[in-house]
Amino acid sequence: MKLLTHNMLTSHVKGVTKGYPLLIKATEVKVNEVEFNPQFVSRMIPKVEWSCLVQAAEQLGHRQDLPGELVPDYEKNEEFLKKVHRVLLEVEVIEGCLQCPESGREFPISRGIPNMLLNEDEV
Amino acid sequence: MTESRSEGGLVRYYCTAGNGMEPFLVDEVKRKLAAEDVHQMPGKVLFSSPVRIDRVAELKAAERLFLLLKHDSPVRLSSHISPAKAASVLQSRLLGDRNQWTNAVLTWSRLQGELDGQRTAFNISSTALGVMRKNEEVGRRSEELREEEENCHVETGESTGEQREEESGNRRLRTGEENGACALEKKRKRETVPGGEKTRRETCGAEAKILEKKIKREDENMSQRTSEREREREDKDDDDEERRIVMELNSCGQDVKKGMISESGLHGSGSVGAHATPARDHDIESSSRRIDNLAEDCSVENVENEVKTTGEDKTLLQPSRIRPEITSSVGLSFRISCKCTGSLSRYFSTQEVSKMIGVGLGRLLGWKADLRNPQMEVNVYLSDDHCLLGIPLTRLPLANRNYIKTTGLRSTVAWAMASLAQIQPGFCVVDPMCGVGTILIEAAQEHKAACFLGMDIDDRQLQKANENIEFAELGNRIHLLKASSMVLPLPSASVDAVVCDLPFGRKFGTKTNMAANLPVIVTEMERVLCVGGALVLLLSPQLSCLLKKILAQKDTKPTSNQEIKPQTGVQDCSSPSLSSRKQETFQIHQGVKSPPTQETDTLPGVEHSLPSPLSSLKHQATLRVSLGAIDGLIHKYVKIDA
Repeated sequence: MKLLTHNMLTSHVKGVTKGYPLLIKATEVKVNEVEFNPQFVSRMIPKVEWSCLVQAAEQLGHRQDLPGELVPDYEKNEEFLKKVHRVLLEVEVIEGCLQCPESGREFPISRGIPNMLLNEDEV
Repeated sequence: MTESRSEGGLVRYYCTAGNGMEPFLVDEVKRKLAAEDVHQMPGKVLFSSPVRIDRVAELKAAERLFLLLKHDSPVRLSSHISPAKAASVLQSRLLGDRNQWTNAVLTWSRLQGELDGQRTAFNISSTALGVMRKNEEVGRRSEELREEEENCHVETGESTGEQREEESGNRRLRTGEENGACALEKKRKRETVPGGEKTRRETCGAEAKILEKKIKREDENMSQRTSEREREREDKDDDDEERRIVMELNSCGQDVKKGMISESGLHGSGSVGAHATPARDHDIESSSRRIDNLAEDCSVENVENEVKTTGEDKTLLQPSRIRPEITSSVGLSFRISCKCTGSLSRYFSTQEVSKMIGVGLGRLLGWKADLRNPQMEVNVYLSDDHCLLGIPLTRLPLANRNYIKTTGLRSTVAWAMASLAQIQPGFCVVDPMCGVGTILIEAAQEHKAACFLGMDIDDRQLQKANENIEFAELGNRIHLLKASSMVLPLPSASVDAVVCDLPFGRKFGTKTNMAANLPVIVTEMERVLCVGGALVLLLSPQLSCLLKKILAQKDTKPTSNQEIKPQTGVQDCSSPSLSSRKQETFQIHQGVKSPPTQETDTLPGVEHSLPSPLSSLKHQATLRVSLGAIDGLIHKYVKIDA
């Protein structure tokens, strides 16, 4: 699971009002080398919940020097875009789980794919 | 290095297309290929384009691609016509004159060369992108043309008997990989070798690679294979002359091999400096769109011998783009592939028609019919409305993508759905029932700056989807989740487009009762969509009807005891807020009265107090497409501000 994906996920456990963001508890993290596409990254930035991204990166211990706030004029800032690229697309949680912040319910991540299925009583 | 324009100017093509795909194809050729004179008929689209053939072969909505030979008014035969007379009518109407054919064959061979030489260029991932080979041999085609082999395969030691059949009058020159590799002029007259031709065809697959790893693997294989071939060749020599030939070939082969190995590991097919060995035609054919077959990769193709018993001059082949003359008596082998419908098919069977045309063509051009393994195939479509002749340009349908390993939905339809979603750069696109990921992959190939999220409840499907995504090298932009389409783990209004092929409940076995859950599923899709976002669904005819009813119920004013007519048009949502309020009122009342319009009461527990969830989906189009054995309906909606 890449952090770009994590940034979008929420918990819909019954009764939960704010299931976002999910806490990451990772047991296996990988950093891959992914081809850097600056246009793609700069297009993704506006869609990303920035503080959630920073927090997630931090939880994984992969924040490095990612700034706490978006820098202005980031489209032209290749160095910044590279940092974002790394955090969004190169860091990957292979095993672990995502935890609903409100209910504590854990969604397992296995082989890089988070399982967000709810049981019948949770819907 | 790729020029977008073809050398020969405008070429007229036609493509076959699945039923319902024609409008998509028309749109695509106009948009991507600067197509002119676009003509649409059931199952086919004809067009002229100046763009290079390799770009034409990238069409996504087409099934097969043909070079147009003839498009004419239908052939009409009277009912009492004799077979002999019919044959002569068919031949005179369809075959035309020799020059037309030789020109067509020239064009075909040029296009094949362009396809061979350029194929790798656009398919290779950017990391592997290296030298783009310009095919200098393009012009050098002898009459001996072969259908382009899309699959890399190795054919060794073909029986001489077979070869004799081919009766190739000249060497075939096909270069793929090397720049100026073996630009060999053949002036020698060759005597008939007692053993007949020995054709060892080894196809160099190196070009078609997409994945770096495969490229590397191929390189190794290729060098192995080339040396094997050479050894084999040596063993089988009978003639002195042949031995000489073979040895020259070997040396050439060695050069080729060396050349290839010396290239960076990424691209076995890098350019090799012009060979100093001019003595022999050395055909190296690269092809292969099929990644699957890349494992077989390389072989060096060369054709030896072939002497015409008539003793015709061999074509002089020059190392330039000058086209060789084609003498009429060259024995190209061919096959007719014929489809007849309409009145013609009442008088004669397809086989009979095929034969008549085949015989006529053979006589006209001196070509030999070979049903099993012809060098050239001629497609003939005869109907009550047209007659159409063409030569296929690719062996495999364009619909077979070389970037997809396991297919689910037919790629053409998947692509068409993605195109309806009008994906923009920066979009986030979701497929809540992605299966093996076909739609996501087609969409991601087309829209390089958008990001895609696929969900499925089935582990095996997700695994295959994962493999497909890795195979296509799209893992940075397509991400997967295990989730249920009925409870999407996404915030509301967070997604720019939803594209989904809903399980029909037949081929794709699903435990969920699709009909019962359809309202919930579509409601979730609507929820996660942003305003202005597109929803594109592929449904079985039954589900399509059901969905229309469900949505009609939400938007229109239902009256008691009346069947809801299925609506295909755009539903009026000009005053959405008003209508939704009205709906709520009606729903409450309906709860009291008999609920005739709620035949979709397969969903338990629909409460009248719920805000009408599906009212913000504005229907834009419904299109019927063929999925092979069955039809599907594509529905497009846009989320409006409700």
